[in-house]
Amino acid sequence: MIEYIDMILPYLTTILLVSSIYAIFALGLNLEWGFTGLINFGHVAFLAIGAYTTVMLNMSGYSLILSVIAGIALAGFSGFLLGIPTLRLREDYLAIVTIGFSEVLRFILLNEEWLTRGSFGIHGFERPFQDVIPYQYYNIFLLLLFVAILGIIYFSLEKLIHSPYGRVLKSIREDESVPSALGKNVFSYKLQSLIIGSAIAGLAGAMLAFYLQYINPFTFKPIETFNAWIIVILGGTASNKGTVVGALILWTFFSGTRFIEEYVPFESHQMGAFRMIIIGLLLMLLMMHKPEGIFGEREELALSD
Amino acid sequence: MQLIINGLVIGSIIALTAIGLSMIYKTLNFVNFAHGDFVAFAAYIAFFVNTSLGAHLAPAFLISILATILLGVFMEKVVWLPMRRKNATRTTLIIISIGLALVLRNILIFVWGGGTKNYNIPVRQGFSFFGATITPNQILVIITAFLLMFLLHYLLSRTKIGKAMRALSDNIDLARISGIDVDKVVLWTWVIGLGLAATGGVLYGLVTAIRPSMGWYLLLPMFAAIILGGIGNPYGTIAGGMIIGLSQELSTAVLPTEYKFAVSFVVMTAVLLVKPEGIFGGAK
Repeated sequence: MIEYIDMILPYLTTILLVSSIYAIFALGLNLEWGFTGLINFGHVAFLAIGAYTTVMLNMSGYSLILSVIAGIALAGFSGFLLGIPTLRLREDYLAIVTIGFSEVLRFILLNEEWLTRGSFGIHGFERPFQDVIPYQYYNIFLLLLFVAILGIIYFSLEKLIHSPYGRVLKSIREDESVPSALGKNVFSYKLQSLIIGSAIAGLAGAMLAFYLQYINPFTFKPIETFNAWIIVILGGTASNKGTVVGALILWTFFSGTRFIEEYVPFESHQMGAFRMIIIGLLLMLLMMHKPEGIFGEREELALSD
Repeated sequence: MQLIINGLVIGSIIALTAIGLSMIYKTLNFVNFAHGDFVAFAAYIAFFVNTSLGAHLAPAFLISILATILLGVFMEKVVWLPMRRKNATRTTLIIISIGLALVLRNILIFVWGGGTKNYNIPVRQGFSFFGATITPNQILVIITAFLLMFLLHYLLSRTKIGKAMRALSDNIDLARISGIDVDKVVLWTWVIGLGLAATGGVLYGLVTAIRPSMGWYLLLPMFAAIILGGIGNPYGTIAGGMIIGLSQELSTAVLPTEYKFAVSFVVMTAVLLVKPEGIFGGAK
């Protein structure tokens, strides 16, 4: 029995760790898409900016907390820069520009080896309290830390969206002309939503780096963006609770497919592709038949005119 | 000179594929993020018919273009038409299209792997031309692209279906009450748009290696061309495609080749910032 627990515990810890990181990452997207109606197809770029900034600053001798704050700030600032040319226009433009940005950023991370070490990636950076916590308990500690951070983000977002400010965001999602007729600066609200969402993704990036202990440009493929989309839509658009549950479901599913791998006659590249086909199909079918997800409220969302 | 030739070739392909994207965007009022993956799909089908079934390249191209159009018509019937009936919002359609893009691209990876492929054709000697080389394949690409664009011009300005398509893209409700069979015209828009995309795809396979991400990486240049030329303006799109193709290739004179892709991103963002309706006008 004890042996059994010894086997299952690290496994559970891993699922919960990854789920908590992706829950935070997806909560950022939920603020943008779920509450404000912004289509961000390059969310992974902000994850990468958070991770790389934190890690590179820390390696050049800055304290860890300062590096994380800089990572969050730079991710938010990038959101600001991308929002300026796009958020005054139709929602398609943000989708195009963000997806382009995430690809271009990955090329830069891959090619500017003097800065990012290219495809070799970066490792050997500090992790929070690594000198104090014994190594065998470190993942448990990390999990507690991450769940605490998730709690803080979750309750702050809940407070935000139930405030008058949050109601303006929702009204933008439903019909821009209404808040605009009431004298709200719609552009400015959208920009703020994008900045906050991107900053949250930056924080998730720093956490991901601490968990993996090693990052390279391939950690930040476009698929991560769509994982976040699946999490948000599956759990329920505009539901923070749904987003957290969605993250848990997705990663349980992913770790489940790893067991199945031994029983299906797929080669490794086929398994990866198969997983992506499932993600894509799920995205299509959910949007077609159950766009409100598990916890979303259909009455609240304007999914059709 | 070599860069200009390469730029014209790539520009023709971008223009050809982007017209389809632009037509669908204007008529159905959403960005089809799967458009690039239809381009790649066409190249793979041509590759399959050409190498695995051993057919000559010309029939392989025809079969592939037909197959791509059929797939598009199938998607219209099972996805887009039912969603239009439900009055789905633009954002819903955009998310469905990116899901479709993931599915299509990964089916290609699943079946043919992630590596590069080439048609089974003899390598032909290129011609020297002012100190640069142009291959027969490249000439074929440019000529086909221009022929198809003239054909499209004729179709849009002279035929009944072309006029109906333009009416639809101006105002779908007005077109409907004027007695135009909207669903039929939408179907024709898919057929022509994806036909052009498929032609672009099989030709692209002639001048570059075939790989699953070839269409995906064409998507951003296509958008850049459309935005530059003004959305829904086919002639602007052609000009935009040429400008993007040329600037991508010419950039390699000063920048590492990997950043070709970034050029279209920078051009696009700059146009959005300064003149979002495009240089040649068009809808906002």
